[in-house]
Amino acid sequence: MKVVGITTQQEVYVASRERNFRINEFLIISDPYQGDLMGEIVEAKTYNRYIPLNIHGDLADSSVIDSLKAIGYNIEEDTIYIGKLRLLNEALYPVEAGSDVRVPAFGEVKDLMIRSSPQEGLVLGIIKNTDQMALDMDEEFKDLLYTFEDGRLKKQEDIPYIYNIKSMHQYPHIGVFGGSGSGKSFGLRVILEELMDLNIPTIVLDPHFEMDFSERGAYLPKERAVDYKDKFKCFQVGFHVGVRFEDLSPQDLKNLLDASSPLTDAMSNVVDILFKGKDSFNSFYNRIKMLAEAQEEGTIDRINRRIEEASSNLEREGWIKRKEIYLNYDKVCPNSSVRGIMWRLKRLDNEGIFSKDIKPIEEGLHMGKLIVIQGSTRILQVFSTYLLNNLYRKRREYKDALYKKTAADYFPPFIVVTDEAHNFAPKGYDCPSKAILKEISQEGRKYGTFLILATQRPTLLDETITAQLNTKFIFRTVRASDIQTIKEETDITEEEARRLPYLRTGDVFISEAALGRTIFARIRAANTTSPHTENPFDELRNRTAEEDEKFFEIIKDKLPINGDDFINVIKEIEGETGITYPIKVFEEKLEDLVEKGIIKKEKTPFYNIYKQ
Amino acid sequence: MYSINEELKEKISYLNRVLSDKYRDILSLDKGFIRNFIEKNIGPIIKIDKLAKEELAYYSERGGILGVDGSSNRIGGAYPHFIEIYQGLAKSTLYKDKPIYKTDFYTPLYMDDRSPLENSPEEEIIIRQNKLSTVEIEAALEGIRKFHPYAVIMDGSLIRYAIESSAKWKELREVCEKKGILLIGVIEDIKTSIIGNKLKEDKSLSIKECFYDRELLYGLLEYGEVILIESQASKKAQKGDEGFASLFMRSSQAPAVIGMDILDSQREDLEEMARLILTLTPKDGRGIPLWIDIVDSEVRIPDKMIRTLLEANLDRKILEIFFISQREKRTL
Repeated sequence: MKVVGITTQQEVYVASRERNFRINEFLIISDPYQGDLMGEIVEAKTYNRYIPLNIHGDLADSSVIDSLKAIGYNIEEDTIYIGKLRLLNEALYPVEAGSDVRVPAFGEVKDLMIRSSPQEGLVLGIIKNTDQMALDMDEEFKDLLYTFEDGRLKKQEDIPYIYNIKSMHQYPHIGVFGGSGSGKSFGLRVILEELMDLNIPTIVLDPHFEMDFSERGAYLPKERAVDYKDKFKCFQVGFHVGVRFEDLSPQDLKNLLDASSPLTDAMSNVVDILFKGKDSFNSFYNRIKMLAEAQEEGTIDRINRRIEEASSNLEREGWIKRKEIYLNYDKVCPNSSVRGIMWRLKRLDNEGIFSKDIKPIEEGLHMGKLIVIQGSTRILQVFSTYLLNNLYRKRREYKDALYKKTAADYFPPFIVVTDEAHNFAPKGYDCPSKAILKEISQEGRKYGTFLILATQRPTLLDETITAQLNTKFIFRTVRASDIQTIKEETDITEEEARRLPYLRTGDVFISEAALGRTIFARIRAANTTSPHTENPFDELRNRTAEEDEKFFEIIKDKLPINGDDFINVIKEIEGETGITYPIKVFEEKLEDLVEKGIIKKEKTPFYNIYKQ
Repeated sequence: MYSINEELKEKISYLNRVLSDKYRDILSLDKGFIRNFIEKNIGPIIKIDKLAKEELAYYSERGGILGVDGSSNRIGGAYPHFIEIYQGLAKSTLYKDKPIYKTDFYTPLYMDDRSPLENSPEEEIIIRQNKLSTVEIEAALEGIRKFHPYAVIMDGSLIRYAIESSAKWKELREVCEKKGILLIGVIEDIKTSIIGNKLKEDKSLSIKECFYDRELLYGLLEYGEVILIESQASKKAQKGDEGFASLFMRSSQAPAVIGMDILDSQREDLEEMARLILTLTPKDGRGIPLWIDIVDSEVRIPDKMIRTLLEANLDRKILEIFFISQREKRTL
């Protein structure tokens, strides 16, 4: 391998007759004057001057090439391999043309490639095309993981990619971008597995109900299986966890209602006026409801008449109460806004949000667990606003108290992870969860609160937040607008951006501010599998086969069945198994089995006989 | 924009008229008629096939094929201030890493035995042709000595070597005949008029002008067809070609025809060599064996490189005084 052609201080071409170049491969130029210079291949080409791309000229057809081979000349051996090498650090002078180029040893690239020990960092995958350098790699970095290649498990041959989680203190927040099927969710899963390994308190907002870690990857060898059952907890909003109404501040409540459906200024005013501290859900809801009912009566005269005409004491007292509220609030709370608040409140309550609290989440975080919060996107928007505000405040209060040297309860640092992040922090319009995410993105670093945001549409994610993501994992991306955003927000090069639409599933560019350059990596095989991995069409087929099997088991002993005898057979089955079939359905099912060749049908002049 | 001079335009369309007048009769002749005429007066038209793998393997066992080609580069201005550099290359298909190069140069400013400025232009051309042919033959001779090939393919007619460098040619010829090495030349642009002469001779046709074979054969043969030229047909047409057997063939889909010649003593191998050429020629190409094209591309030196060579090895003063023409300094 030699440096050829015109060279610059930043880029050179290297050529070889023997070996092909691979993109993202690291090579060292031995410049006679400047010493060793490290570079990365950014473009690889091959060329054979005897097989030119020449549409009108002589095209060396295969029969001629074969014939030449038969008389001893292999034209393919005249192929030359050309790579464009970009220097990692600009050289002082242009590289000397003709300099030798060699593959670096592991020791020479260790500092560039590895920033953390496997025990302290997140072992997320391999750095692609580093197998040659990995040959003399330290034992502690070998055999850490498997990758999937073409549907098969492959042993680690390359240098591992270990994310230095400690660097988050200086370079906070991670973005995970990629289209559907690009390996984004699966990359997120691997990150979460590693966070669990390190017992880092983590909140995961999971709108897809897929972040379950109890299913082990059946493909992994037994001795490598990891059990995460005790390391994570799944909570569903409204079922396991919820909001304690008594703890809400007026702002919290407004955020919640707003997340349910946007509030007008008048509605927000209604909450400010009607919501008293320490209100329970019922006391607040009743107050609103009474005001609405009184307003429906319309005038004070009519309310008075209601009091007079009341048939019971209870009813009278009720109307007296309504009258009092009406007198206090009618002028400042328009009926439509009151109704709007009532409707939103009821909706949240129906979803069960107010029936539980976030105690289990806090406990889990204290134990260093990964807490998965599941719910529909809308519910999660509502709940996360409340939850994150709450947790972040607790962490901040603790840190501020430390600083001020006053006492406060300990609250651990934690990481917030969410898929479909553009739903939680959209660009262009306001959304309650956006405010808190923005706050964490901007000053969470100080308090040890970090974000990992995954999205397929980085273009739709709030720009202030995107700008704060210091590490970006970029999977296959096809949309031009997203590629444009990625180019603007990261240091990936033009050549790398061009490769984005063609990345294989699981291949990823990792742009780390801590490193100052982009790494091309492949995410490791996950230790656990998503509950949604079964192909729905396989599911359908398996399910039908299962049902046929079941039905056949039931009727097996009854065969042969005569067409005029259905009623008795059905009765027998009902007696034995408790399953009742209508005659029509029973016949259809038998016909179905005949069609599938499981049983046979014989026609007689009177009826059909079904037999084995 | 450039505007084309009217007069020039007229001259060109005049040329078109003249050519189409001259060739109207001959181009409108029936294809079958010319083929018949050729079979009767020149030699048989036969169809040949490509060589089989086993036959090629046999060639490889017997020493492979040696391809020979030459190149010349001229740097400088008008006579006598120029230098011409010749390079001959012989390359064996079996020893691709051992090309044999032979080089020479010529400038009217320096001759071994004569004082400069003495040569007439005709003489000069002969000297230059001689030098080029000689380096090619020398490369071939060394290639034969080192690799002992089964066959040698020269780029260009063997007759050309015989005329231009007769002493060396004799040596080559003798070596090949003695060692039983087949020697053939492949001619890309045929310049003969063997068929044309015969047509003119035929009194029944009333063709007064002599046409070139290239014109007559264009599109006449099918892919893989060969005209074996009977020796008495060519003898009258060419001077000094005793001792050669030749053929025309269409070796690719391109309608043009190439020529090939072989030592007379090896005449029985003519057809086999034609098959070798056909085998080594890309079907969609212009008709030249790929091996010859490969050798050709390796022997050619870019002018720029020659210049660098001169700049590096001649004193700047000498270079400026003798070999840099004023014309080269034009910038417009």
